This record gives sequence, C-alpha cells and structure tokens, in this order.
Amino acid sequence: MAMRHALETRCCILHMVKSLTAILVAAALLIGLGIFEWFFVQNEFSGFREELETLYEKVDDGTANGEDAKAVQTAWETRKEHLHTWIPHSDISRIDDYMSETVRLVAEGNFTFALAKLEILMHLTKCLPDTYSPAIENIF
Amino acid sequence: MVLVIIRTAIIFITLLIIMRLMGKRQIGEMQPFELVITLLIAELACIPMSDASIPLLYGIIAIITIYVLHEIMTLVDLKIKPLKSLISGKPSLVINKNGIDDYQLKRNNLDVSDLIESLRTAGFFALDSVDYALYESNGQFSALPKEDYENLQTSLPFVIIDNGTYNRKNLELTGLDEEFFNAILQKEGVKKVKKVLVLTADGTGKIYLQVKGEKYRTTHVTYPNGKTW
Repeated sequence: MAMRHALETRCCILHMVKSLTAILVAAALLIGLGIFEWFFVQNEFSGFREELETLYEKVDDGTANGEDAKAVQTAWETRKEHLHTWIPHSDISRIDDYMSETVRLVAEGNFTFALAKLEILMHLTKCLPDTYSPAIENIF
Repeated sequence: MVLVIIRTAIIFITLLIIMRLMGKRQIGEMQPFELVITLLIAELACIPMSDASIPLLYGIIAIITIYVLHEIMTLVDLKIKPLKSLISGKPSLVINKNGIDDYQLKRNNLDVSDLIESLRTAGFFALDSVDYALYESNGQFSALPKEDYENLQTSLPFVIIDNGTYNRKNLELTGLDEEFFNAILQKEGVKKVKKVLVLTADGTGKIYLQVKGEKYRTTHVTYPNGKTW
C-alpha cells in the first residue's frame, strides 16, 4: 500500500515536471520568436528605407534613372520573400504597388510624381513595423 | 507576433470570464476553460488556413499560446485549490432535503423547468424522488435518489405552477382547471399563486408543492370524476 502511494506520488511529481517543462519550453519558444520577429522586421524595413532614401535623393537631384529604381525594387523582392512569413501579405502588397509605380515614373523621368510615391513608401517603412509592436493601440 | 500572443491571451481570459458568468447552462461535460479552448482552437486553425493573406505562423503562434494557457490552467486547477473554484466553479446543490434551492438555480441561470428536465434525463421523474441533486462544475447533473424512489414515481408528474405562473399547456393535458388547484393552494394556506415556486401533479393524485423560501410538501388529492393518467 505504502509502495503504491509512493509510486503514485512519484507519477504525480513527474507529470507536474513534464507540464512545467512543456510550459517553459513553449513560452521560451514564443518569447524567442517574438523577439526575433521584432528585430527581423525592424531590420528589413530599416534596410529598405535606407535604399529608398538613397533613391529619393537621386530623384530629387534629377540624376536617378530606371536602373536605380529597378535595383531598389529587386532588393525589395528579395526582402519580401522572408517578410511573407512574418507579416500579413496585404501589407507587403501595398509596398509592391507603390514600388511598381515608382519604377515606372522614374524610368519615364516623371520625378515630381516619383518623389510623392517614394515619400509614401518611406512613410510605410516607418509605420508598418510599428503596427506589429505590442502597443496598446495595436492590441485593442 | 507578440501582438498575437497578447491578443490570444486577452480573448482567452475574456471568454473564460464570460463562460463562468454564464453559469452551468452553457457548459456540457467540460470545465469552462476547456470549453473556451475548444471554441478558440477551431477558429484559430481555420482563419490562417483559409485566408492566404495571413501568415500561417499567426495561427500556429496563437495555438501554441492556447496550449501554454491550457497547461497553466490545468496546473492551477490541480494544485491551487482556491483558484480552482475561481476558474472551474463549484458544484451547485440545487435540491436538498428542503426541496429546490431557488437561489442556486438563479445563480446558474437555470429555472425549475431546466431542473425538472435534468432530473428526467437522469431517470427521476418526481421532484420528491431525490434527496439531493447538484450541477457539477462541468455542468453535469448528479442526483442522490431516495431509498424507495421507484415507488414515488409511479405516474408522470406535470408542472402545473412554475415560478408563480400556471402552465396552461399542462393544465390542458391534465384536463383540470385553475380553480381546482387554487382550492388546493387555499387548503395548504398559500394565499397567492405568485408565492409558489413549483407545483406538480401526477396521475395518482400526488401533489408536490413548494412555496418560495419554504420546505416542500406533498399531499394526495382525488381528481374530479376519478381522473387518472
């Protein structure tokens, strides 16, 4: 009887340890992924913003050509392949649309409209990562 | 992603509170937090699956969050007794030796008809055939029958007065009228029908009467023209 009780107690403790381990592992996984996502998304968007800023300066100077805009678009295409895993695809497609318009406008030499599109793109690269941050306005 | 985790936890806790507030009527054979998980998991799995614009990871993260919350709730449920009653609730004793406990019924958003239905499902047709009946924390119904309960339910009882109101359909079925039962109430010293919590009548003439806030009583009457059912 005493042996059975000891066995049951041991099973109970083992089950509790198993549950606690599972909770800790899953919680660590979630926190780890959360931190990784935060840095990854911020890093990708800030890198893209720097490329956009360079293009903006060139367009503003009137020295940009279609090749420059196309290079930024190609770089974005590479970035977005990774971003698809982490953020809603509708947000990515907004950038896709503006980027395509910018390439066309720069290639045609329509710099005034191209600057407007680039400003929208730069604004998006600032505000989009913030919409995934755990701020009160995003939670509710 | 952190956003998904926080939002999932908020929805989980909100649903759990609502389920606990709704009482035992909404729960069926599950603890409240298990029901909440059942409700959430299906949706969490479906949305990223059907909507291609949402990364699949969002669904996976939310499901893992639910799993963590489930494990925490299970541990709390098993190890911390004061929190157990807060999360899962307590059994409610709805019938005791004094009869129906109206307060406990109301606390669980139930009425006498629900109780009678649960009794019938459990195999007890007369209210006086059980000494105790309770709704478990998972919504299941348990009853402790009287020793000779089979002799107490030889005919199907009809609810004639339910919470101070005559049940017209059952009156029609019995072929009796309000006057007949008003006379019984008068004889039992009950001045107003509104004070009656429940009155049932079975085919043998047994009347079960419980006035609000009082102990139940049973009496035998003879129906007009020797009517039985």
